[in-house]
Amino acid sequence: MITFPVRFRVRQIGIDGNTVGSSRILLCEEPGAFLIGKSQEADVPLTGDAVSRRHLSLVLSAEDVRVQDEGSTNGTYVNGTRVDEQVLAVGDQISIPGWILELLAAAESPASATRIAGVEVDASLVSRLVITDDDAPPPTRRTFPDAEFEGKETVGIEALRASGHPIEEVKFCAVGGGLGSFVWVDHLRCYGVPASDIRAIGTEEVCYQTYKRYCKNSQIPDHERLRSNALSRPDNIWGFPGYAMREVGKGIGVKGIFQVFGEPTLSESYTPRAGDVFDSLDVEAKRIGWSDMLLKAQVLGLRKTSDGRYAVAYKLWGGEASGQARNRFLIADAVHLSTGYPATRFVDDFQTFITNHPDARAQVANAYEPHDQMYVEAERRGGPVQFVVRGRGIVASRIIQRLSEARAKNPEIRILHSMRSAIGPRDGAVFRKARRLVRNNVEIQPFNWPKSCWGGDLRVEYENASEEDRGIMLSQLGGTTTAERSDWIAIAERGAEEGWYRPIYGTISDLAPLPPQGEKQPAGVQVSIDTQEGNREELNADYLVDCTGLIADIRRSPFLADLLDTYHLSRNHAYRLSDGRATKGGPTGLRCTNDFEIEGLRNGNGRVYAAGTITTGGPYLAVDSFLGLQYSALRSVDHLVTERIHKVRNLGPLRSLGGWAKWMTGARP
Amino acid sequence: MIPTLAGRIQTRLFLFLFIGIPITLLYGLYWTGWQWDWRTIQIFVWFLCTITGLGLLLDPVYIFLQTTRWDRDWPFAYQFFFSWVEFGIVFFVARAGLIPYLPEFAFQGGQGLWIATLHFTLVFVPSFLFLLGPLQAIFVRWRFKGGQFGKM
Ligand SMILES: Cc1cc2nc3c(=O)[nH]c(=O)nc-3n(C[C@H](O)[C@H](O)[C@H](O)COP(=O)(O)OP(=O)(O)OC[C@H]3O[C@@H](n4cnc5c(N)ncnc54)[C@H](O)[C@@H]3O)c2cc1C
Repeated sequence: MITFPVRFRVRQIGIDGNTVGSSRILLCEEPGAFLIGKSQEADVPLTGDAVSRRHLSLVLSAEDVRVQDEGSTNGTYVNGTRVDEQVLAVGDQISIPGWILELLAAAESPASATRIAGVEVDASLVSRLVITDDDAPPPTRRTFPDAEFEGKETVGIEALRASGHPIEEVKFCAVGGGLGSFVWVDHLRCYGVPASDIRAIGTEEVCYQTYKRYCKNSQIPDHERLRSNALSRPDNIWGFPGYAMREVGKGIGVKGIFQVFGEPTLSESYTPRAGDVFDSLDVEAKRIGWSDMLLKAQVLGLRKTSDGRYAVAYKLWGGEASGQARNRFLIADAVHLSTGYPATRFVDDFQTFITNHPDARAQVANAYEPHDQMYVEAERRGGPVQFVVRGRGIVASRIIQRLSEARAKNPEIRILHSMRSAIGPRDGAVFRKARRLVRNNVEIQPFNWPKSCWGGDLRVEYENASEEDRGIMLSQLGGTTTAERSDWIAIAERGAEEGWYRPIYGTISDLAPLPPQGEKQPAGVQVSIDTQEGNREELNADYLVDCTGLIADIRRSPFLADLLDTYHLSRNHAYRLSDGRATKGGPTGLRCTNDFEIEGLRNGNGRVYAAGTITTGGPYLAVDSFLGLQYSALRSVDHLVTERIHKVRNLGPLRSLGGWAKWMTGARP
Repeated sequence: MIPTLAGRIQTRLFLFLFIGIPITLLYGLYWTGWQWDWRTIQIFVWFLCTITGLGLLLDPVYIFLQTTRWDRDWPFAYQFFFSWVEFGIVFFVARAGLIPYLPEFAFQGGQGLWIATLHFTLVFVPSFLFLLGPLQAIFVRWRFKGGQFGKM
């Protein structure tokens, strides 16, 4: 049940990432739909070049509070993930260019509705405008494509035509439009499929947009290096020549080649710059005609058709069309799903904290959501600023690097690095005869899986293993690791020596807000840690950055949840090994075959494939990586060849060499 | 590419057949003044066959060593180093006259060392360069199959 008034804190964000002016509060006193945008008719008019006239609606009912994008040009984000429609929880942040709206908990009394943490806030943005009539349809009901799809496993093409929505037919459709989709389409193109037979549907203009946003949030700007192999290049299905060779003429010169030669034992592993990966993707996108194949739209549903194909329902974003004309169908013979991480979900205690203390939201952040503001504030503020960085993975390493850079502007920034337990040099994970390296209490691995998971003996063994054995291998070989980088090691060592970096071991048992005390002492967060020695340590921090990762719960994607429910699709499961016995854990990714086909969606000659993190726990360990996306694309396109029903020609040695020569010369495939 | 046992064997034989043998024949012809003198040329061919044979015997050992590494990989540097170890072993055993079908005299002195080293260099350099990537351009699936050829 929703208690009215529903409150949003509204903050304006400047170009430098700073808050402009003080927070304001938006009060929605009754159920209804509130339009936000630049237009004069908007219930809440917001300014800014990148704000659309009709940007988003807040839809409030007695059951839930949702945000709905109104086809804005630059998108609506919830906790950093672009959304079309999303139910909000207290503490969620909606961001649109230049603004952040955050759902607050219900006020204790009407009188305190305009107070945050006891401080009176400017309530000039109060909106009590649109109030729905009683007999109007409830605003939460979606009419498209429910009228055609709801409760049906198979739909007829005639019925879809009769619906009046525009229909287009193609052979291949990639849903997502991110890196996984791009790589799959790139394979199809290099195998000889013409661009006119392919459609990619995604929410972003550029295939790496979502990826780039995650990188930016987790502090990987374009000039920083990723965690990726020289030969895994998503813009080249052959992986040759690699990024290291590309860098010979610039950047680090031939050093990269020597790194590749000796890595990972004799030299630090080579990894490409984020910006170089993006540039190379731009070139390939142009070569294969990506923009001609792309539909900028949100996919709302997928159904089998009675003639052995699939109907994909989507809603166009931005562009000319408006209203019902944005709702369309695409009919395709083969569909590929690569929708990436569903909306960000946080670890439980972090979620509880932001739910109970939304007023302290600016003091805590998950590393994958936009939080640059923290660094900017810490740099600007004189005097001591204390950060707690939680987690020991690669993202924590990057955040610590960012903080050590911030120390150039404010040398009184201190880092408390919270990790569950100390790991001794001989405590690394064990898999049969091998043990993982440990440095500075962090497990070290060049990439997010042991290298042979991509193409060595572990790939073969894992693929052939039973479901349970796969689960056990996954738990043994997985785990949080970081890359061995001399600059990161130096930061930790110098910081410990100079006293501005301190690791703390133990579990975080409590998070509590610290209210501001006068001008000098802004709000903070108190972090209680139960140390391994059995003590409780209480840290008064200014900020907490949680680097424990993203939880990829595929049910959080309404599109996938609908597919799971309609076709009763199977899912993979996690397994844990305890006392020599395997116990089954919660569900993970979508179940698929070794060729990445989702068998539950097979429909006559129609085939549906998947890739990326949504296939976690499936036939391959490193699904969520550039090379893993290429592997799954290769498997699924090869499968289309073997099945001989979609007329995709095999890529044997001669055609492969020919295709590669075209890539080298920049010729269209 | 992270090799598996089958992949090592197949890639080794592939490079032997398509790079090693042709280069060896040319090299042999060069030393015989571009005359087809099989009695001389066969020394080069058998020398290369012996190195390849030794490599095939050692492949399981390399695979074992890989399993003791966390990443179960095989750095290019190791590949480089062990190729020369294989060459060195065969050369010195042949020099000691312990390989019946390789005449001892061919491996004696500075001249013998020079001819064999140049031979192996000419075979090794292109093979190694091929391994670094160009094979991927011809066989798209090779890198995911641990060096094996064919379908996934
Ligand atoms: C911070 C970070 C760093 C990483 N670094 C590396 C690295 O260095 N090397 C490496 O190999 N891998 C890396 N990865 C892993 C992986 O390669 C990337 O996450 C990659 O982007 C995954 O591709 P994807 O297609 O699965 O998802 P994405 O690239 O995220 O694409 C999915 C797209 O689908 C869209 N979408 C979702 N639902 C719908 C819908 N219903 N309708 C329309 N569109 C929809 C989303 O908006 C998104 O744009 C990294 C991941 C993260 C998070």
